[in-house]
Amino acid sequence: MPGIEVPKEKWSGKVREVTLGATAAEGGTRARTVTVGGETTLPFLKFEGEIPHPPAIAIEVRDQPPSDWPALLLQAWDGATQDVAEWAKAAEAAGADLVALRFNASEQLSAPYARQVLRRVLSATGLPLVVFGPGQADWDNEVLVAVAEEGKGERLVLGVCEEKNYRTIVAAALAHGHLVDARAPMDVNLSKQLNILIHDMGLPVERIIMDPTTGALGYGIEYGYSVMERLRIAALQGDSMTQLPMLVTPGEEAWRTKEARAAEGVPAAWGDYVKRAINWEVLTASTLIHSGADIVVLRHPESLRRVRAMINALIG
Amino acid sequence: MPTGTLIVEAVRQAGLDLNIPCGGQGRCGRCAVLVDNRQAVRSRSELRLSQEDRAAGYVLACQTVLEGDVTVTIPPQERIERRLVTDRIATKVTLPFVYDPKQHQPMQLMALTLDPPSMDDQTDDWSRLKRAMALQHGISELTIDLPTLRKLGTTLREANWMVTAVVELDTWDRPQGPPRLVDVVPGHATNHLWGAAVDVGTTTVSLYLVDLLSGEIAAQAAEYNAQIKRGEDVISRIIYASRNGNLQEMQALVVDTINQILERACGRAGIRPSEVYKMTVAGNSTMIHLLLGLPANSIRLEPFITTINQPPPVQAAELGIAIHPQAHVDCLPGVASYVGADIPAGILGSQMCESKTVALFLDIGTNGEMVLGDCDWLVSCACSAGPAFEGAGVRDGMRATVGAIEEVWINSQTYEPTYRVIPDPKLEAQGQPTPPRGICGSGLISLLAEMFITGVIDKAGNLNFDMGSPRIRRGEHGPEYVVAWGSETAHGRDIAITKVDIDNLIRAKAAIYAGFTVMARSVGTDLSTVERVLVGGSFGQYINVEKAIQIGLLPDLPWEKFHFLGNTALKGALLALLHREFRHHLTTIAQKMTYLELSADNSFYEAFTSALFLPHTDLAHFPSVAEVLAARRNNPISRSVQGGS
Repeated sequence: MPGIEVPKEKWSGKVREVTLGATAAEGGTRARTVTVGGETTLPFLKFEGEIPHPPAIAIEVRDQPPSDWPALLLQAWDGATQDVAEWAKAAEAAGADLVALRFNASEQLSAPYARQVLRRVLSATGLPLVVFGPGQADWDNEVLVAVAEEGKGERLVLGVCEEKNYRTIVAAALAHGHLVDARAPMDVNLSKQLNILIHDMGLPVERIIMDPTTGALGYGIEYGYSVMERLRIAALQGDSMTQLPMLVTPGEEAWRTKEARAAEGVPAAWGDYVKRAINWEVLTASTLIHSGADIVVLRHPESLRRVRAMINALIG
Repeated sequence: MPTGTLIVEAVRQAGLDLNIPCGGQGRCGRCAVLVDNRQAVRSRSELRLSQEDRAAGYVLACQTVLEGDVTVTIPPQERIERRLVTDRIATKVTLPFVYDPKQHQPMQLMALTLDPPSMDDQTDDWSRLKRAMALQHGISELTIDLPTLRKLGTTLREANWMVTAVVELDTWDRPQGPPRLVDVVPGHATNHLWGAAVDVGTTTVSLYLVDLLSGEIAAQAAEYNAQIKRGEDVISRIIYASRNGNLQEMQALVVDTINQILERACGRAGIRPSEVYKMTVAGNSTMIHLLLGLPANSIRLEPFITTINQPPPVQAAELGIAIHPQAHVDCLPGVASYVGADIPAGILGSQMCESKTVALFLDIGTNGEMVLGDCDWLVSCACSAGPAFEGAGVRDGMRATVGAIEEVWINSQTYEPTYRVIPDPKLEAQGQPTPPRGICGSGLISLLAEMFITGVIDKAGNLNFDMGSPRIRRGEHGPEYVVAWGSETAHGRDIAITKVDIDNLIRAKAAIYAGFTVMARSVGTDLSTVERVLVGGSFGQYINVEKAIQIGLLPDLPWEKFHFLGNTALKGALLALLHREFRHHLTTIAQKMTYLELSADNSFYEAFTSALFLPHTDLAHFPSVAEVLAARRNNPISRSVQGGS
């Protein structure tokens, strides 16, 4: 269209580049590392600024097959979910950039067990890891401290740090060369405050990833979207404590919804269950990527394929 | 007592005193009494009582009704015994004008010599007086009230037709008069004409006794507002007053307090209260409503509407105030429910509106009231900070009375505190230290700041258990920091600040700071452009600016920009008492002040969460605090993180 100039925003800020994983040369055992961040513009607006790294996709694996996942999701991994090492391998084979290992809150979960699981996953895949505890403060601390020691030098992302429980995890990350995932409940100020608290303990900003918390499509996604967008705009405007890459968990959010779980007893207009369930995860993830997510944690291999296709198409 | 009577009511009917600091909401737990038969009482709420208290037979007097015969034991009450600065320290108030009573003062003394009546001159007494007034003083259209008229004839005759008329030429709502004859006194007694300026604070009521002929303060007095025992903060008092019959009690309590200090000040000046012919009163909207006996409940409830912001002058007799019965009590104008007459009076007293430079005026108490502006514009808002800074709502909090820890220092290596206690004069005289009983507002601010700067708490107020100090522990109410061990305290219990207390304090300071932010933003300015910070109210007299800045309660501005003005509301009431132009100006200030209702402001919540951090999420707004923190970071000993755990 002759005569029309696309308006460009000139931002002064830049998202920090954060590298996950360490190769043998860097003190770890990963086959490769993944760097996220570095943007100087909003998602996919390459004509306006730099987007040096595309959003990365992590696949969530569990130490045990989770009892609360829909059968559809477990079947998609063809039996690999029976063994965490197999699952991690399958995730890599499916094209994931990262493996997100999450420990179930189970009876056998203990520090020695966590070490053993971590070792198996580290040897099964060459991808960098994000490791989540079972989600209860004291237990998370116990598990993640063991994981941090066991995975010394691997530049794992340890998660999640929350305002009420971050000191132990940050201290473990500091001592053993890891990163942390800082999760705050959908609020720009709270995200920023948690980043400050973690940084105050001496962890360099380049080792913090933030998780602003999100909802699934139809379950408050617009609120999460808006918070992420505001965080990113603040970052681009030069607010240093928001200039961190964002990790979000659309897989977890989407597969909790009724739309992704109910195969029967729903209106016919809801359409085919399998398509709908996967669509829910894909749409949640791609929406969050548009609001600035740098890492999305997914669960279904088909979602991974489709979100990747979207990223590739838009990144050009 | 009939079944179903609240214990607090029964105690009052028995003529005993029992404080109900929260106004009877069951929130504060301070009205606990001992009952000997639990079967004979029924409690609505025992929320604030511990398991042990309940087992020992304690119930909350404001939440428990009688259902049978029971003996109630009232534990010793916390004495209302605080430092009354204005009662002790002689004040020299510098007036911003040279006082000329003839020019400025609507109250005048006029000596009159009347021609005695005779068979030839059968003019009635009142017409006779008016005639003399017109001839001797050029005053026509004089009015009179019935009580004055009743004594007129006797006074004139007893004084042998030589009297002094006490005349009110005008009032703010009748600027053109007509003049009113307030009193007729025998003889030509024109040496003194007395007036009183009063500030009815939620906590303290203060009074200046002023000679309206010279403009000088002859005496002053202050006393705790007797309403305190019916609620510590305005909301508690509104709730209490809105119950059946309690409004009259509240009105009587504050009138009693005023009369008490009036009498005391008059005693010091050697006069009778009935010789006082004018009174101006500043106070927040709730205090003014209760003084006038107006229902205050709508102040508390959305959309927060007062009965009146600019009350007309009322005669003292109608209120029961012991100055001359026909003298006017002029309650000064307020702006809104939570920006009462004390704020325009404070602005007037501080002369903020005379200056071209932007100033921020603060009056911090239970409510933080603030005004930003200069001679051209004024914007005000009020934030509910809660009573934390007055020592309430904090487990070991107390008012600033004897035994209160008023300042704390924490050693940055050992994390051991030292503190200063408001001394008991008797112990002090014997050279004995006063054992602490709790922590007052200024103590809490300095404690919070010290804990933050030394790293005992992080910026979110979480206690740092990595410090290895025995003072940081998990108590009955969660994590806490022990300020004084039981062996040092008056009651033998540890005095500690809990995480819950810390959160309360951070919320309180965040509400106030968010008020500044929203107010500044609403007029498109920034707090850094403020040239002067004028701190009014008694709170300002004890607060340590450095500490208050460190926790992010006050904006980080150079110290020389802070001015502590003491009781600006009282000073405003004084100016309004002396000078009709100032009284008029007060109305103008109240009218031109733009009131921001923060609860209706979308950006308040954002500003509030942003301020819910020490000192603030944007450290850039607190450069001096950033400097202190950087210095600490460079000191390796106090670094809090030493690797894994």
